[in-house]
Amino acid sequence: MNAIALLNAAKDGILTGSVYALMATGLTLIFGVMDIINVAQGILVILGAYLSYALSVHLGIDLFVGLLITIPTLFVVGVVIERVFMARLKGPEKTAMSILVTYAVSLLIEGTLNTVFSVNVVQLQASYVTRSFSIGGVHFGFIYVAGFVMAAVLLSALYFMLYRTRFGVSVRASLADQTSAALVGIDVRRVSTICFGIGVAVTAAGGMIYGSTNAFNASTSYDLISRLLTIIVLGGMGSLGGAMLAGVSMVFIGDVVGTVWSPVWSTMSYFVVLVVVLLVRPQGLFGKQSARVA
Amino acid sequence: MAETAPFLRFTNVVAGYGGGDVLKGVQFDVPQGGVTCIVGPNGSGKSTLLKTVSGLVKPRLGEIWFKGENLVGQTPRQILRLGVVQVPQHHSLFREMTVDENVELGAFLVKDRKVIAERMAAIREMFPIVAERASDKAGSLSGGQQRLVEFARCLMLEPDLVVLDEPSMGLDPKTLRSMFATIKMMNSMGRTVLLVEQNARQALKLSHTGIVLENGRVRLSGSGIDVLNNPEIGALYLGGSIEETKHAS
Ligand SMILES: Nc1ncnc2c1ncn2[C@@H]1O[C@H](COP(=O)(O)OP(=O)(O)OP(=O)(O)O)[C@@H](O)[C@H]1O
Ligand SMILES: [Mg+2]
Repeated sequence: MNAIALLNAAKDGILTGSVYALMATGLTLIFGVMDIINVAQGILVILGAYLSYALSVHLGIDLFVGLLITIPTLFVVGVVIERVFMARLKGPEKTAMSILVTYAVSLLIEGTLNTVFSVNVVQLQASYVTRSFSIGGVHFGFIYVAGFVMAAVLLSALYFMLYRTRFGVSVRASLADQTSAALVGIDVRRVSTICFGIGVAVTAAGGMIYGSTNAFNASTSYDLISRLLTIIVLGGMGSLGGAMLAGVSMVFIGDVVGTVWSPVWSTMSYFVVLVVVLLVRPQGLFGKQSARVA
Repeated sequence: MAETAPFLRFTNVVAGYGGGDVLKGVQFDVPQGGVTCIVGPNGSGKSTLLKTVSGLVKPRLGEIWFKGENLVGQTPRQILRLGVVQVPQHHSLFREMTVDENVELGAFLVKDRKVIAERMAAIREMFPIVAERASDKAGSLSGGQQRLVEFARCLMLEPDLVVLDEPSMGLDPKTLRSMFATIKMMNSMGRTVLLVEQNARQALKLSHTGIVLENGRVRLSGSGIDVLNNPEIGALYLGGSIEETKHAS
């Protein structure tokens, strides 16, 4: 078999997979802290992409510069969603209810986007989007490399926040056990709201890269959310490291199978891996075993 | 002469989880400086009662007075600031964090690094396990060791009232004795202790006050010895020996 093809698959896995990992990290952070499955994450990525699109097309703002606006905007969107819809969810049915409520939020955003931007697909444009270079026969698209660097920087920042700051300690404690966190004086409500904001804010960055590398409209969100959900299931719900590894694996496995065997089996191959892993480890690669019991 | 405000007083506390009421009008006082022990059958609402003290469950009716302040409606954080800490029934250490990190989290509300360092030093002396296993993950400790670290952590705030929910659960007899000794030590340091215990005989012996909770109501209260020697209660909850009162699970 062709070594170059395999290298290319590995490269795609790492470059594209890291962006998926970033978007999935937001999802898993929200689940880990709040037991909420935010199925609106897919449409929020598309919202991020459309915001970048509007800024670049109408105001001529560069895609990367635009992130300085879109990331804080989506943070605020996340905080508002949490305060208005999520704060009311309580009790043992919370997780199930959260799927319904965030799905409703998702439909609301989808309808709005369809009205504002129409259903015609668009793609983000910039001089550098199509630029590329090659190293030893492996082809690198500039935007993919930029996406990887950005995902790496943002994920590092997230890790720094989690492991080196006082706020990070309160997030990790809330991730582990909300009651125990509350009993040492952590304001779990505030931590939840901020985490929801952060979890949604990463979709601005993910959406910009996604929208530069794919043509999209609002319904693209369905493909996105199914990928993001399977990533966090494989990685283990609530595990940040798991989301990263699974994000990279998803693209890598798909590309390797697509190259070595046939593109027909590309998407399915990841699900085969997912099912096999779940048979052996129902909690996913790095999932908490039963930390939430009692 | 005006009556002095009670240290901790429950007046007609009614609370639950949205279904029926679990606590159906609980009323009693916890005197300052002593050990007060609550006993009662499984599901009688003991943990729920302790949760109302820390603000984890909000009573539907009634008041909980602590040194002249009503705790009902306050957040767990505000209640900690007033000097009430709780070690809950389930293991509450953060398993993925080290013993040191866990104990330090006990002083999460203390901003002054110097004060935290001083208290850490005192705690390490009092609980050698904290010093010995400082950089081990809390999850790697045995159940009894974890309980001691939880005790250590709750003392970091230098609380006035320590609330303990079945601290002896799952401990072997030797660890059990050292745990009761630790409770006595906490108390002799001036901390008022309110605890729930299944090892009723042992716990009531060291308690100044005993409360029997049954089906969400106070069935009996008095000095620890009185409750222990009450024939009716003895037959119902204390069994013939400590062994028989230990609950499975
Ligand atoms: N989070 C909850 N949601 C709904 N019901 C609950 C919850 N926690 C406890 N209950 C119910 O409230 C009642 C009292 O429970 P509680 O834990 O206070 O009892 P307990 O006296 O502490 O029992 P044990 O000795 O088993 O610890 C039980 O019927 C229990 O099923
Ligand atoms: Mg209990």
